[in-house]
Amino acid sequence: MNKLINFAPERYHEGLYGAMFVGPAIFLLGLFLLYPAIRTIYLSFFDKRGNNFIGLENYVWSFSDRLMLITIRNQIIWLVGVVTLVILFGLVVGYISDRLKRGEAFFKSVIFMPMAISAVGSSAIFKFIYEYRPPPLTQIGLINGIRVGIGNDVNGNECGNNVILNDGSKLDYVNDGCLRPIGWIQQRDLTNLPSFENISSGDFFLNLFVNFPINTVLLMLVMVWMFTGFAMVVFSAAIKAIPTEITEAGQIDGASEGKIFMSIVIPYLKTTILVVATYMTVSVLKAFDIIYVTTRGDFETNLLAVKMLDEFAKFLNQGRSAAVAVIIFISVIPIIILNLIRNRSEAKS
Amino acid sequence: MRKSIFGLSLLALALIAAACGGGSLEGEEVLVFGAPATDGPDGKAIQEVFDDFTEETGIIATYVGSENFESEVQVQLESGDVPDIIYWPQPGGVVDAAERGLLTPLTDLGIDLDEYEARYSPYLVSLGTVDGVAYGGANAVNLKSIVWYQPAEFEKRGYEIPETWDEMIALADQIVAEGMNPFCFGMYSNGATGWLATDWMEDVMLRTGGGTTTYDQWVNHEIPFNDPAVKLAAEYLSQIMHTPDYVVGGVDAIVSTAFGSAQDPMFEKDANGNPGCFMHRQASFIVGYWPEAAQPGAGTETTVFPFPVIDPSLPKAALGGGDMFAATNDREATAALFQYLLLDDEAWTPVATNRNGHGSTRITANVNFDTSLYELEITRVLGATINAALSENAFRFDASDLMPVEVGQGTFWSEMTELATNGPGYIDTALSNIENSWP
Repeated sequence: MNKLINFAPERYHEGLYGAMFVGPAIFLLGLFLLYPAIRTIYLSFFDKRGNNFIGLENYVWSFSDRLMLITIRNQIIWLVGVVTLVILFGLVVGYISDRLKRGEAFFKSVIFMPMAISAVGSSAIFKFIYEYRPPPLTQIGLINGIRVGIGNDVNGNECGNNVILNDGSKLDYVNDGCLRPIGWIQQRDLTNLPSFENISSGDFFLNLFVNFPINTVLLMLVMVWMFTGFAMVVFSAAIKAIPTEITEAGQIDGASEGKIFMSIVIPYLKTTILVVATYMTVSVLKAFDIIYVTTRGDFETNLLAVKMLDEFAKFLNQGRSAAVAVIIFISVIPIIILNLIRNRSEAKS
Repeated sequence: MRKSIFGLSLLALALIAAACGGGSLEGEEVLVFGAPATDGPDGKAIQEVFDDFTEETGIIATYVGSENFESEVQVQLESGDVPDIIYWPQPGGVVDAAERGLLTPLTDLGIDLDEYEARYSPYLVSLGTVDGVAYGGANAVNLKSIVWYQPAEFEKRGYEIPETWDEMIALADQIVAEGMNPFCFGMYSNGATGWLATDWMEDVMLRTGGGTTTYDQWVNHEIPFNDPAVKLAAEYLSQIMHTPDYVVGGVDAIVSTAFGSAQDPMFEKDANGNPGCFMHRQASFIVGYWPEAAQPGAGTETTVFPFPVIDPSLPKAALGGGDMFAATNDREATAALFQYLLLDDEAWTPVATNRNGHGSTRITANVNFDTSLYELEITRVLGATINAALSENAFRFDASDLMPVEVGQGTFWSEMTELATNGPGYIDTALSNIENSWP
């Protein structure tokens, strides 16, 4: 290469050397990132096999199909829920563990542990927690196992999860009065939960409340559980960087713990919170494994990433799949802009 | 591995052609490729059939199977380096390859189509036919129209096996009156929740209205999805799902129970020795999902009766699936093997009698085959049911597999799930939603 460049006129040498180093990277980026992205946008205007141009029809479908609208709703619930809860739990746990006199490392590594488990593993763990078996069977799910063992039935006998007692008799939960197991990841509303059973029609807000998609929220918690440790580590590092003089000054001036947290710690962590929020938002938009392993999108729990795969692999519709991909891509743009603005203002100050 | 066998066969072929100069087919080789693994029970059983053929004719037939059949066969078809005969797990593969002009019509292989139809029913022949030319040979089929039950539990309580829908409902009411639940029903399946309900619908469709005629019209969308005939089928299904106490665990259990553990309550006895349920409609593969202790009792302690008749004027129909094979050339040796597999009524004997203990339970679609030869009692029942349906041309493939994917794997499944949750009042909405989604 060097020799080749030497043949060129002297004044081009510098530029050519630069191109020699950057060229391959730009070529590879173009081939594997830019080209597929443009191709996907192009395909989203075509029909299922990519043969005929159909304009915006795939996007019209994206915002009118019932299951697609539910998918978008779920994605919004996940975005708001996961980002808020991860930041909240991360902050609280990070702040409290920083205050611990002993056992900080132990406490933090326990909270961080889910981060070391693959998303598929975590999903499998939670699938067992929410697991349901039809009534006479022993409940192997954690929640249902505890649930059916509570209380007494109408005859005054203790309920139990098919527990065999020492005298050989069995405590079951099939009689009236014992709690019934619930298929948690199948519940699309609250009507099967105790004290909601008899609410079917009411005013608008009551209906909205009863139709709360409990299964989506329960699956969302898997991601919260996984990423709280990550947020905690980042926040606790940032908290340690807060100069002790300032907090001490606050204490001397008589500020309460809450006041110190709200007026000193939070302002100091503003940038960190934004970083975590950005990272979490992008992660949630990409979230795929949890839904894929637990419900595979059934029972109105689908997310955009799984929907994208389904449209491509199950319904063999390239156009719609590409449209969903573009929607995911567009949703990331505001966050990128937000980060650019922040970077610029930081560079200025 | 396969390549080398193929290359070897070509070499052998050339040598033999040179040596004999035509005439006898002895020593010629035929390579067959399919999905069941070469070393698996089904692959070994297929090879047993071929060995019989080799003994009779001297033509050496070799079976090779691959777990990645679908992708490998595509590569072979694209490259033109193809085996002589290909076994597809479903007729769709034959139709696809025939449309691309890669297969040999059956008439070129010396197959008498009338004989073929007489043995395998016009319906199966039609599944491998493209533009009026038959390409595919029907082979093994499986049966979905069966209900699992435990004979001992039935005898103890004096229950009779229901032969009609009304008898089944009467039996169910009696079981409910005695404080128990008649049915097991679970349709949760990751990404495919609802297929069990579509199977029920299909079984009812085959037994009501115009029977197989209505069924074929329904599959091909010649009648709308919200046609009264389809609505009737949905109402029959809803009767099972929504009558109080019919299904163990109620509507919640139908939706929340994974199809694999749906039958488990049947094996769970309560304090009075009563099982959780008495009947479970599911295809024969469900045995693999049973609790380990129950599996050896398949066919004896827990066995099947055919899905009950609804309209007695209709022929006894059966719902199922099956594979299909086709030839890629019209060499004499290929044609000889093809004829043997398709038209020899005893060709299936080594599979049925489980010769050399390979453990294959495949069932032939040839109605002339003597079903009493099957080694296991349960296979005999399945084989006889399939035979009866085929001889009246009333065997049909799973409708949801034949419908466009948007319906067959999309709305049909999801709306059946909605129907289970929302109750009989939702039938009209469900069917119109499916109708509207038909592409």
